[in-house]
Amino acid sequence: MSTPLLELDGIGKFYGNIIALKDVTTTVEAGQVTCVLGDNGAGKSTFIKILAGVHQHDAGVMRFEGEEQRFTSPRDALGLGIAAVYQDLAMVPLMSVWRNFFLGNEPTKGAFPLQWIDTPKAKAIAKEEMAKMGIDIRDTEQPVGTLSGGERQSVAIARAVYFGAKVLILDEPTSALGVKQSGVVLRYILEAAKRGLGVIFITHNPNHAWPVGDRFLILNRGQSMGNFAKENIDIGELTSLMAGGAELEELQSELERAR
Amino acid sequence: MSEADVTKVAVAAAGATAGEAVQGDERLAYRGVFQRLLVRPEIGAAIAAVAVWIFFWAVSVPFGKAGGAASILDVASSPLGIMAVAVAMLMIGGEFDLSSGAATGAFGILMILMVRDVVGDVAGGNLSLWLALPASLLFALGLGWFNGTMVNRTSLPSFIVTLGSFFILKGAKLGFSKLIVDQIQVGKLNDLQINAEATGESDKGYGILRKVFAAEWQRNDHIWQNRDWLYSIGIFVGLTLLVLAVYELQFARKSRMNPVGIGVLFAGILGAILGVWWLHNTDDVTGNWIGAGIIGGSMLVGFYGWCLWRYRLSGRSSNTVAVVEEDQAGDGSSGLSAGAVAMLGAGIVSVVLAVVAALAFDPNNSENVSWLVMVTEQGLRAILFIGLASAGAVFLLIAASRARKSSQMMGSSLLMLTALAVAGMAFFIRSESGTPKFRTQAFTVMLAIAGVMFVWSIMSMLFEERRYPDVKADRLGRMIALAGVVGLVTGLVARLMFIIPEEADGPLTKFSVRILWFIGFTAVCTWVLGRTKFGSWTFAVGGNKQASRQVGVPAARTKTQLFMLVSFAAWLVGMLLAFRLNTIQASTGDGEEFEYIIAAVVGGTALTGGYGSTLGAAIGAIIMAMAVQGIPSSRWNSDWRFVFVGAILLLAVIGNNFIRAKAEASR
Repeated sequence: MSTPLLELDGIGKFYGNIIALKDVTTTVEAGQVTCVLGDNGAGKSTFIKILAGVHQHDAGVMRFEGEEQRFTSPRDALGLGIAAVYQDLAMVPLMSVWRNFFLGNEPTKGAFPLQWIDTPKAKAIAKEEMAKMGIDIRDTEQPVGTLSGGERQSVAIARAVYFGAKVLILDEPTSALGVKQSGVVLRYILEAAKRGLGVIFITHNPNHAWPVGDRFLILNRGQSMGNFAKENIDIGELTSLMAGGAELEELQSELERAR
Repeated sequence: MSEADVTKVAVAAAGATAGEAVQGDERLAYRGVFQRLLVRPEIGAAIAAVAVWIFFWAVSVPFGKAGGAASILDVASSPLGIMAVAVAMLMIGGEFDLSSGAATGAFGILMILMVRDVVGDVAGGNLSLWLALPASLLFALGLGWFNGTMVNRTSLPSFIVTLGSFFILKGAKLGFSKLIVDQIQVGKLNDLQINAEATGESDKGYGILRKVFAAEWQRNDHIWQNRDWLYSIGIFVGLTLLVLAVYELQFARKSRMNPVGIGVLFAGILGAILGVWWLHNTDDVTGNWIGAGIIGGSMLVGFYGWCLWRYRLSGRSSNTVAVVEEDQAGDGSSGLSAGAVAMLGAGIVSVVLAVVAALAFDPNNSENVSWLVMVTEQGLRAILFIGLASAGAVFLLIAASRARKSSQMMGSSLLMLTALAVAGMAFFIRSESGTPKFRTQAFTVMLAIAGVMFVWSIMSMLFEERRYPDVKADRLGRMIALAGVVGLVTGLVARLMFIIPEEADGPLTKFSVRILWFIGFTAVCTWVLGRTKFGSWTFAVGGNKQASRQVGVPAARTKTQLFMLVSFAAWLVGMLLAFRLNTIQASTGDGEEFEYIIAAVVGGTALTGGYGSTLGAAIGAIIMAMAVQGIPSSRWNSDWRFVFVGAILLLAVIGNNFIRAKAEASR
């Protein structure tokens, strides 16, 4: 087996005496989807922030393409090609699709001070990149605010892919979406993986994780509950592990009684 | 059947006879010509500017003259316009600058203090102007940097931070003026010239810089015999191009152009030239009518030729479109929806009321109406007539556009009815009006509007409307429209800047170079906002600061640069003031910052940031200037100016919200 794209070994994070994350181990392979599952407060956001360079880990080792890394800022992570797509998507609703797509990295013509955005090129690339993800955007002049949740998600993913991401971190991309839209986003996730990216898909919904995931990391109260390849686990186990197993059974019987 | 299918069927049916492929993306919902135009934030302001101009033009005598235009542009350009444009950019970036008003005076005072040799007990800077200007500019950029850095570092609202710098500046202006010159004003810059003439010393660059910042164009010194030719041709060509642009945006293109159309088009053009020649060579009334008739008829033929050349004739296929469209209109086959009928009724009632109102007041009475102290009877008559007549025309147009949804033919008929109503009112005021302005000018303008609407209605009956997007046609249409605007502006500028020999004894009219600074500054800012990285980042930090930071936009730097842009504008205005007035009061500019903000908002800029336009802010400044000039020249008490400004602000905000909601919904 070749070196994994990203390798985490016993990662931990402490805020003073509070243990936010402890002993987390997993791998992300190119072209595969690693799902990070956990209930609210399980430590998912701390986990992403470490990967994206917002926070630093206090214990364990993080290796990117076999080399140990310690990020001091999001710029470090981005420089290596680790791109995070956050829940709020980092989009400006009143701006057009192509402007959002290239925001912060606009292609330009001319030299300062007479330097302007190469609008036709930007529009063409935005449309083409979206098409590669399987989305035929109607009009790149459309404000992002008028897109549906799934479409917005796809713009964010396409943007990250275009700007050279090797590892794509998706923070709860399906949590605010309806069933149909979630399906669309899951397809984009598979599409991104097919193009050779390592995808980290964070969710609290095992039903979304199961169909796309190749590897599952389950977090509960800051602790790793296990790190499984798909062949070693089934969806029932996944669900019960996520909620802390015994707790869920207890809750179920309690609810039975209440009815 | 989904919406997309509906459109597809409609397009397929429409194209069936010609056997054409669908152009463009069929999933884009069709938007009407005007909906497409209204997406731009400044269009609303432009329409409002025309409306306000017509209003004051009707009620005041000097407003429509070159002198009136000169003073409007003068008031609009500086300080108001230049500052409004800069403030609009800052507001798009999500911040306010309350110190911008006081800053305009402060940099002028600072510059004069640096230049003066002996000032009271204290020695002035005695610098050359070539040093004082860059030095004061450095101070200005420093103020902007300070404001921006304070806002970024403290994360306090810019409202509070810049309120602080406002009071500091206000106090410093007064304090330093009194301390150094022991007066509440600082001057006089033109002492440099007087001194130079007396002693033979250098004027420290005053002569050249005065030309740069305060040169004037004396209209009365520039005689141009053929001015009215350029004026007429500019207006004529401009209007024609605008009509053609609307056709290009409105009608469905043919797959193969019809060469017969070009022949008809040229026949029309030849006819129009013949008509102009006729008009030029006759003087009697009948001859004029014949000439005008020839021109009008030829125009009709020419427009028909253009449309025949390029667009599909409406035939059986338009019925299919109508049936499909009825699904969306939700109405039966009667052709007219209830809403359209209501609008039609309202329109007719308004037109009738307009005529009644005009008959009810004595057109020759220029005394004040007793129960409304500020308006003359003549003015009240004009207000009522114009208000009701334009409301009537708008109602009728709305009725026409509603009817168009169910039937193209019915919509066009209502448009024609509107044209007839406008023409009727034109003839009415011609016979009934007491003032010569209304007799001739208003008559001509209204008749021209009626003519355009008439031609338009005929063409929309004959040719098929485009119900699918066509990016190429839209682009060409916009380019033709731009050419039309250039034609109109060329004509107007020629008319404003030159006199013909007969006007040689007219009132003195001057155009200041400030207007050029205003136009140039607006053009540069508009280019920066729309075409550059910095412009994109400005929208981004105002629309969603957090998000733009996450994708790598230097949000803090962008905001600081915006504050520095505003203080640069304040410096520029300060220089323009100093070279015009020579002496600057300590209180100059204090409190004007809200007028800049109002102008920006009137121009379509959102108070919440992330949306707006610099061109709109410039137009907003012109609207405010029209209020400043129009109220006294209408012989109203100018104390009412602020009432007007407040009302305009409220109307603008409501109107902008409405237009924006419409534009977003139509996407």
